[in-house]
Amino acid sequence: MISVKNLSHSYSNDEKLAVKNISFEVEKGETFGFLGPSGAGKSTTQGILTGLLKLQQGEVEVAGYDLKKVQNVRFNKIGVSFEQSNVYSKLTALENLKYYADLFNVPTRDPHELLKLVGLDGRENDRAGEFSKGMKHRLTFARSMINRPELWFLDEPTTGLDPAIAAIIKDIIHEEKLRGTTSFLTTHNMYIADELCDRVAFMLDGEIKLIDTPKNLKQKFGQKLIDIEYLKDGKLLKETLKTIDEEDRQRIAMLVTSYDIQTMHSKEATLEEIFIQVTGKGLL
Amino acid sequence: MKWLSTYVKEMKIASRGFYFYIEIFVAVIALVILLVAVKENPEGKSVEYLYNDLPSSVKEELLAQDLAEGNIRLREDTELTIRPSSFVLKNKDTGMTESFGLNPEKTVMAQTYQKLNPETGEVLGIVYLLENEEDMIRMSYNTGNIGATTTMDASGNFSYKYVLQGYETARYEEVLYIIHTFANDDIEAIKEQQSTSVIGAAERLNNREAVVPLFIAFSGALMGFFIIMSYVFLDKSQGVIKAFAVTPASVWTYLLTKTLVILTTVIISSSIVVIPIMKLKPNYLLFYVFLAASSFVFSCLGLLVASFFDTISKAFGVLYLIMIGLMLPAFSYYISSFDPLWIRFLPTYPLLEGLKGIMQGQADVSYVLSYTAIFIASGFILLALANFRFKRTLTV
Repeated sequence: MISVKNLSHSYSNDEKLAVKNISFEVEKGETFGFLGPSGAGKSTTQGILTGLLKLQQGEVEVAGYDLKKVQNVRFNKIGVSFEQSNVYSKLTALENLKYYADLFNVPTRDPHELLKLVGLDGRENDRAGEFSKGMKHRLTFARSMINRPELWFLDEPTTGLDPAIAAIIKDIIHEEKLRGTTSFLTTHNMYIADELCDRVAFMLDGEIKLIDTPKNLKQKFGQKLIDIEYLKDGKLLKETLKTIDEEDRQRIAMLVTSYDIQTMHSKEATLEEIFIQVTGKGLL
Repeated sequence: MKWLSTYVKEMKIASRGFYFYIEIFVAVIALVILLVAVKENPEGKSVEYLYNDLPSSVKEELLAQDLAEGNIRLREDTELTIRPSSFVLKNKDTGMTESFGLNPEKTVMAQTYQKLNPETGEVLGIVYLLENEEDMIRMSYNTGNIGATTTMDASGNFSYKYVLQGYETARYEEVLYIIHTFANDDIEAIKEQQSTSVIGAAERLNNREAVVPLFIAFSGALMGFFIIMSYVFLDKSQGVIKAFAVTPASVWTYLLTKTLVILTTVIISSSIVVIPIMKLKPNYLLFYVFLAASSFVFSCLGLLVASFFDTISKAFGVLYLIMIGLMLPAFSYYISSFDPLWIRFLPTYPLLEGLKGIMQGQADVSYVLSYTAIFIASGFILLALANFRFKRTLTV
C-alpha cells in the first residue's frame, strides 16, 4: 500500500536533511507505526506521503499512485487525521462532515454515524468553534473516515484526549484494521503503538533506525528484565537489570545479598525502553 | 459539483463572520451619507470682503445700479468677528510691506449682499462691505477669502486694490487685471470671436452621483482584494487548508470559490449604493459584467499576494502598499489636470473611467467591454500564478 525508496527531504533545499534516504514498505491491511521523538522526521515523512509536502528525492508510491505524478484522485482512497484539529469553526459538526463528504468521488459514510462513533452525537448542530479541544480532535478524526479510506494516516490520534475517549479512538482504529484498512500511525506514544501496530519503525534524526514487529523487538531487546527496589542507607532505590547480561546478573546477586529487597518483578521491556536502547535517546 | 459545495460552504462561513457584514454595513452607511449629507448640486458660493473708499453718493449710486441690474441682492447685515492676527501684507506692485499686529478681537456689522447671475438669478456668492480697509484686510486673512478696496481719483476713474492669500495662480491675477482694464463690451466682443468646445458631451454626474464610481471601485474592488486575503489567512490559521489539500478537490476549486464569494458580497454591497442613487440611469447589465470582471481581477490579486505569506500581519506591508497604489487614480478622477501617463496603467484608472461612463448612462461600451476582457484575462493569469504558488505553499 505504501512503498518508499531512498526518500530524502530538505526544508532549506540544501544538504541539511530532515529525512535522510529512508526506505520502507507498508503492506495492505497492516497497521504501521512510525515512532520517534519530536523533530525525528516523522511528520515530514507523513507530509510527503499525504502530498502536503513536495516529493524532492526518492521514489514513493501511495495507494498505488506514484507521487511524482500529481493525481488528486488518489485521495479518494486516503484518509488523514491531523494531530492539530483543523475543522471549520464557523460550521457545525454536521456541516463540516457533509462538506468534506461532497469533496470525494466515492461513496461516503453517513456523517451522523461518524459523529455517533466518536461520541459527538447530540452535538451535530453545534458550531465546531464552540467545541473543546478534545471534541475538535474527535471531529477531525471522524472526518478522516468520511470516504472509507483504504489507507489511513493517523497523526498522534490520541494525543490530548482523556483516557476514556482515547480508548474509544483506539477501538475504532482496531475495528478499521479488522475491516482491512491500512493504517500509517505517527506517534511518540509507544503504548498506543504497542497496542495497535503490526510493525513499527523507529525514527531518529531523519533516519529509520530499525523496523520490526513489537513482539520481535521485545524478544530481541527486551527479554528478561527485572525491576528491583531495595533499601540502601534508608533510601528506596530502583534498578532495572537484564537477566541475560552477565554483569547485570552479578549485580542482581549482589543486591539480593547486600540489601533489603523491597520488591522484585520480572517484566517485558516497553517499546519506549527498547527505543532508548536502540537509539540511545528518549522519546520526548 | 465540488465547487458548488465549496461555494455554499464559503458563503455560510462568510455570512457567519464579520467581514461580510462589515461590507454590507459600510455600503448602508455610505448610502445614508450620500442621501443625507451630500447635496446633489451644492451652491458653490464665493465670499468676498470689500471696502469702498468712495464718496457716499458714489457708493450709493453704484449699489443702486447693481441692485437694479440684478447683479446683487441685499441681505440682512452680518455680524463679523475679526480675530486677533499677525501678518505681513506685501504690495506686489511696489514691493512695500505692511505689518499687521495682534489687535484685539472685535465685532463689526457688515452690509451683506448676495452676488447673483443676472440672467438666471443663481446665487454666485456673498459680498460683505466693510467700513475700513484694515477690517477688510483682516477678514480676508482670517477667512482665506479675497478682499478688495475700490477707490476713485479726482477724474472719477476707479482703481482697485486686491488682497490675495499668496497662493493664487498668475493666471488668476491676470484675470483680475483684465476685468478692470477692458470695458465689458470689449470682453464680450472677444468672447464672441472665440469658439469654445466642451470635452466630452456626456451628461455630468451630480455631486452625489460622482461619489458612486469611487465607492464601487474602492469599497467593492479594493475591499474584495483585502477581504479575500483575510479569508485565506483565516483558513491558514485554522489549518483547514491542509484538510482540503488531502481531498480529491483541486486547488482551483478552492481559489475560484473564494473569488465567487467576494463577487457575491461586492455585488450586494455595490447594489445597495448604486440602485437607490443612480436609479435607472446606468446600463445595469454592463455594470454588473464590468463589476464582476473587476472584482475577479482584484480578488485574484489578493489570492496571489496571500500565497506569499503565512499570516495577515506579515502581509500587511505589501497589502498596504498595493492598496495605496491602487487608490491613486482617485486623484485623477477628481482633479482633471492630474492625469499623468503612468497612472493610466493602474487597473483602478480604467475601472473608475468605465464606472463613471456607466453611471452617466452614456458608457463607451467598447471601452468597458475591452477592459472587462482585460480584467478577466488578467484575473486568470493571476489565478494561475496563485494556483501555482498555493500548490507549493498551501500546506506550509
